[in-house]
Amino acid sequence: MNLKTLFLALLSFLVPAVALAADGSESGELNIPIVVGFILFFVIASIFITWWTSRSTKSASDFYVAGKGVPWAQVGIAMTGSYLSAASFLGCAGDIGVFGIDSIWLSIGFFGGYMAVLLIIAGPLRNIGSYTVAGALHSRYPDDRIKLAVMLCTVVISTFYLVPQMLGAGLLFELLLHWNFVWVTVGLGILMSIYIIFGGMKATLYNQVIQASFLWGTMVILVTLAYFGIGNGSFYEILDTANQTVPPILAAKDPAVVAAIKGLPADQAIATVRQMMPDAPSTMTIGVKTSSTMAMVSTVIALVFGTAGLPHILIMFFTVPSARAAKKSVALCIVALGIFYLCAIVLGFLLFPGIYPKLVAWISQGPVGVGMAKNMSVLEMSHKVGGTWLMAIGASGAIAAVLSTSAGLMITVASSVSHDLYKVYINPNATEKQELGIAKITTLVMSAIAVSLAVMLKKENIAWLVMLAFGIAASAIFPAMCSTLWWKRTTRQAVIASILTGLGVSVLFIVLLFVKGAKYSLFGLPVAGGPGLFGVVASTIVLILVTMVTSDTGKNPTEFMALAHRPDTE
Amino acid sequence: MSDSPPSSNGMRRKAVINFGLFSLFFIFYLGAAVIQTPTFKDVAALPALGMPLGMLLSLLIFPASWLIMIVWFWRSK
Repeated sequence: MNLKTLFLALLSFLVPAVALAADGSESGELNIPIVVGFILFFVIASIFITWWTSRSTKSASDFYVAGKGVPWAQVGIAMTGSYLSAASFLGCAGDIGVFGIDSIWLSIGFFGGYMAVLLIIAGPLRNIGSYTVAGALHSRYPDDRIKLAVMLCTVVISTFYLVPQMLGAGLLFELLLHWNFVWVTVGLGILMSIYIIFGGMKATLYNQVIQASFLWGTMVILVTLAYFGIGNGSFYEILDTANQTVPPILAAKDPAVVAAIKGLPADQAIATVRQMMPDAPSTMTIGVKTSSTMAMVSTVIALVFGTAGLPHILIMFFTVPSARAAKKSVALCIVALGIFYLCAIVLGFLLFPGIYPKLVAWISQGPVGVGMAKNMSVLEMSHKVGGTWLMAIGASGAIAAVLSTSAGLMITVASSVSHDLYKVYINPNATEKQELGIAKITTLVMSAIAVSLAVMLKKENIAWLVMLAFGIAASAIFPAMCSTLWWKRTTRQAVIASILTGLGVSVLFIVLLFVKGAKYSLFGLPVAGGPGLFGVVASTIVLILVTMVTSDTGKNPTEFMALAHRPDTE
Repeated sequence: MSDSPPSSNGMRRKAVINFGLFSLFFIFYLGAAVIQTPTFKDVAALPALGMPLGMLLSLLIFPASWLIMIVWFWRSK
């Protein structure tokens, strides 16, 4: 069977699979054929791109880093797609719709992370050049234990990030279209495995470019329509409405309020609730959701330094031809993300004059309803301002977000396992072909694990796993990476100790979260705030102390620094 | 691509610019985040340009980041 025949066979399987997942589904408001049409567009486009790129994916360099020759603009857009998960597309605005102003930091927090990437990591990391994050550290300290430790962190971080993506996609389509949860997650797993296995990084990047463009465009169009259609083109008017609005999470606690606003337009519902709850805080009141300054600081540290330690973001710098191209790709990503997250904040406040009664009605159903309000309100808003077409586009945008993020995570794990574990510890004499074979098997295994975990944890609230992934990346990867790239005195022992300390503190937080619950506090820091604060501080202190008492600064640190910081040229 | 190594002074200058600008960003970012917590809610509620100060500072992070980015590209030429 040649490659073309194989892709046609896969296409003929996946197209009916989408139809089968949709079989028997009914939704009162949504035009199912339009949604299925958009999703089929992504499926077909992904498979076509994979077939097209697979013809030029021959070597390990092609598979892992797309031959290191991808234009910076493409990588910048793909990076944007890799970062914008369904949580960004649906959850950032939805969270403001539930809690009010406290939730704007969800958007701002995610945005801020890229500044550390741009200013500290991107250029020198690209100059070092490698296939994986571990490979970059290993080029200064040729110690296989470093590869093992970073590989372990990569697998943990990526799994924590990947499972909520798959679970979110399954739940979204179960809630929205009554599609079968297992079918949706299995379908996504198959689709991503196909384009990673056959097209490697090149197919992943091209798919991410399409998905990111669609996702970003959908958000901008939606907010523009809502801003002028519902917000009357005035941000101050939107804030004025928010000032009068009782947060839906509080209004929904009173059954009399819920009953009183049933069927009312949003503006009347807001006024009615305010009359019934005159002393209640407004959606502009701080403290409805955020309770601890320590937790906020920990979250901010995890987001800023964690983004600069996320392996699936860092490996993208190896795909561009130069350090200057890497910096330009991050700059493009920062501008695109800034516009996207600003839109998400404005959209969040537009939810009050747009769909306030619906938000209260959802939340009054309990924890499941709160989840519905967070994840469905953007789609409900799409329906209100653009009808079924825009709602269908919004639903497809959510799928695009899941695909682009998950594929980046999966290829990162595949690269790390094959290059840093198999090639180093299991079969040091492996040929390039054997190594690529392991990467492809890892993709399949990782896909199966992610789908299985998503199905097993379906009933659990695991949104905090993503924050934990940022916390681990900030604690275990960032201090070691930053000092390796910038501090000539850093020693091999210090890097290993720092990675293990960051990982250890993170594991402690994971254990406490499972055993004691999210509200348990460790030295005044609620564990729900994540390991960011303690992890980064502890691993940095260990790094400095161990550096002071050891002397192995790696293989020719002067030459390494010269390579990492050589002048930029195109 | 040039392989000429950076001088010690060049490397130091680069580190000062990069870490200096990042520190500037991080202090602003962390400060805006902390003001937006219940501990400092009275400060955050002060009116500024038609909105609460906390919200204004939080939203200013977007243009401030873009500005820092422009300065960085300009200085690191």
